[in-house]
Amino acid sequence: MSITRRTVLLGATASAALLPLAARAQAKEVVIGVIYPLSGASAQIGVDAQRAFETAADIINNKYDFDLPLARDEGLPGLGGAKVRLVFADHQADPQKGRAEAERLITQEKVCAIIGTYQSAVAVTVSQICERYQIPFLSADNSSPSLHRRGLKFYFRAAPHDEMFSKAMFDFFDALKKKGQKIETLSLFHEDTIFGTDSANAQLALAKERGYKVVADIKYRANSPSLTAEVQQLKAANADVLMPSSYTTDGILLVKTMAELGYKPHAIVAQDAGFSEKALYDAVGDKLEGVISRGSFSLDLAKKRPMVGAVNEMFKKRSGKDFNDYSSRQFMGLIVMADAINRAKSTDGEKIRQALVATDMPGDHTIMPWKRVKFDDKGQNNDADPVLLQYVNKNFVTIFPEQAAVAEAIWPMNK
Amino acid sequence: MHDATHAVRRRRDLIVAAVFVALAACVPLFVKDVYAQNIMVLTLMYAGLSQSWNILGGYCGQISLGHALYFGLGAYVTAILLTKFGVLPWFGMLAGGIVSALIALALGYPTFRLGGHYFAIATIVIAEIAFLLFLNWDWAGAALGIDIMVREDSWAKFQFTRSKLPYFYFALFFAAVAWLVTWWLENSKWGYWWRAVKDNPDAAESLGVVVFKSKMGAGAISAFLTAIGGAFYAMFVSYIDPDAVMSFQFSLLISLPAVLGGIGTLWGPVLGAAVLIPVTELTRSFIGGSGRGVDLIVYGSLIVLVSLTRPDGLLGLFSRKRKVEAAR
Repeated sequence: MSITRRTVLLGATASAALLPLAARAQAKEVVIGVIYPLSGASAQIGVDAQRAFETAADIINNKYDFDLPLARDEGLPGLGGAKVRLVFADHQADPQKGRAEAERLITQEKVCAIIGTYQSAVAVTVSQICERYQIPFLSADNSSPSLHRRGLKFYFRAAPHDEMFSKAMFDFFDALKKKGQKIETLSLFHEDTIFGTDSANAQLALAKERGYKVVADIKYRANSPSLTAEVQQLKAANADVLMPSSYTTDGILLVKTMAELGYKPHAIVAQDAGFSEKALYDAVGDKLEGVISRGSFSLDLAKKRPMVGAVNEMFKKRSGKDFNDYSSRQFMGLIVMADAINRAKSTDGEKIRQALVATDMPGDHTIMPWKRVKFDDKGQNNDADPVLLQYVNKNFVTIFPEQAAVAEAIWPMNK
Repeated sequence: MHDATHAVRRRRDLIVAAVFVALAACVPLFVKDVYAQNIMVLTLMYAGLSQSWNILGGYCGQISLGHALYFGLGAYVTAILLTKFGVLPWFGMLAGGIVSALIALALGYPTFRLGGHYFAIATIVIAEIAFLLFLNWDWAGAALGIDIMVREDSWAKFQFTRSKLPYFYFALFFAAVAWLVTWWLENSKWGYWWRAVKDNPDAAESLGVVVFKSKMGAGAISAFLTAIGGAFYAMFVSYIDPDAVMSFQFSLLISLPAVLGGIGTLWGPVLGAAVLIPVTELTRSFIGGSGRGVDLIVYGSLIVLVSLTRPDGLLGLFSRKRKVEAAR
């Protein structure tokens, strides 16, 4: 048979028709890497994160009647119903190990995207490796603002960073001042790792910008055995608002020491971390009536959006806990990433990156109080509104911003 | 000791080392997987670091639990010179080594007068002070650390986006140099002084050994080599923060291969690193994903098992004769 133009054309058409079939046969599974601390001091965070990611994968891979992307389909329709498979890796809070694990996941497990990492220092190295291999990395729960300012093309963060969190606090102060409350002086109290340092820097800048006087700026050594001297300084300064940035154990010690020294602040507005952990309220909750903490999640949302309650139940069945600030962000991390892979219709890193850039997810299609998910040119979602929660009668109620609030703030806390 | 068998043993050690280096250099030709290459790089890096530690801690008997200080200084000097002043890491590496050696001398001046456990405690405290200084020093990145951006492959900047081979060959070179320095020192006047100081400083002094100066020498050489390892780490990981390069835990990690393999011996650190590092890495990757800490249990059990059955280190497994020699 001679090769005519017609046979070539025929062959080409046939191949073109067969191509999607071949693609469908190949992509039965989409592998996503998840890097967390699964041993060491923050192992519990990693274990809870696993449950949150498994809940998200369950919703993506099976049919559920939720207003979440991919919930009503089985698997990813854009890839012929391919299921999401998660590969977990342990970075032990070590940037070097995080880097090695990211490389292993990319080269051996052939993951098409990576999500992580809790510790910001590990996110630095993991995102660098992802950039080198052109694989998208999504920070589910890292809040250090420096992360998205490094000019990486494959870095994305759907959740707020610390400056956005601190901004919400100052917006809240401004709103209270308009209502006639006296808020003029602030005391900052922060630990000395990346989290506390970043948080205090942001708060100092905002206080200056908006005309609040910082009467005490106390940096303390994380996991300190005693905070007596520090609390005495706080007591002497006696600011209108005390703003702690502390992890759980330091937070507990702070509250205990304040009680011992008889210091009752007018109000406490905390930067999450320890102040959103159940362990802290189990230990010293009775002394914290009226404390306010920022968060990126609130179960109050379930009253307005019943789906949030239903998803929370699914998570609770796996972990025995309600969603908190971290697990909710981790859950959304996988949903956002899977949604992009689905739209990319490919597991190619560059195509997924383009799909992530094009993401525009309305807030009511998430479990968060966010306006929407849309990334700026640095990969940061600036529409992820944080909330402020107040601890009243052993429960957290949302008090700010207004569109998410279910109660008025009690101010000052010790009326 | 200067008999024929001694000279034969030393020549044999040198030949064995040369064969090892030649064989190791060929391994990447067959092992292309970056993950496996990564483990080899780390193993060689720890072999070199532990060998450096062994000069002071093993031969001279001055147990330092603060070597993360020298490691961190090497890493920080290199990273700061590169990111803030554009100095190539090859020069930064040397600068880091020299800074570390000078600091070791300055710190050694008061601390080498301390005996036994008190010296070990002093090293912990000093390293912890340095850790806190770096954690709060804004100009040096404080808690945020220093991020070295890798945009392209470059030998001048010693940066490679995906290839592990350049790092592998440098780590091999580093481990080989640390070994060679030890090999050479072992048979030098200082080598004998150190062992005398280790056994009994007072007796050594009375026999004319310049105890204090020989400790200072061991400290400076050990610190210089450790800092070269730190500089390598900064370029290899391309991100450093005080927790990763200056923590107390890292001081322990540096000394562990030597202790496990055979403290104060030529081959102990190499053997210890060859066992420890692959075990940590592989167990974490393949059974660490469960979140139950099984990998750490395996790692801990291994160390306990070795210390119980071979208190003088893994090296004791290989030949009784060598063990007798080491004890001599």
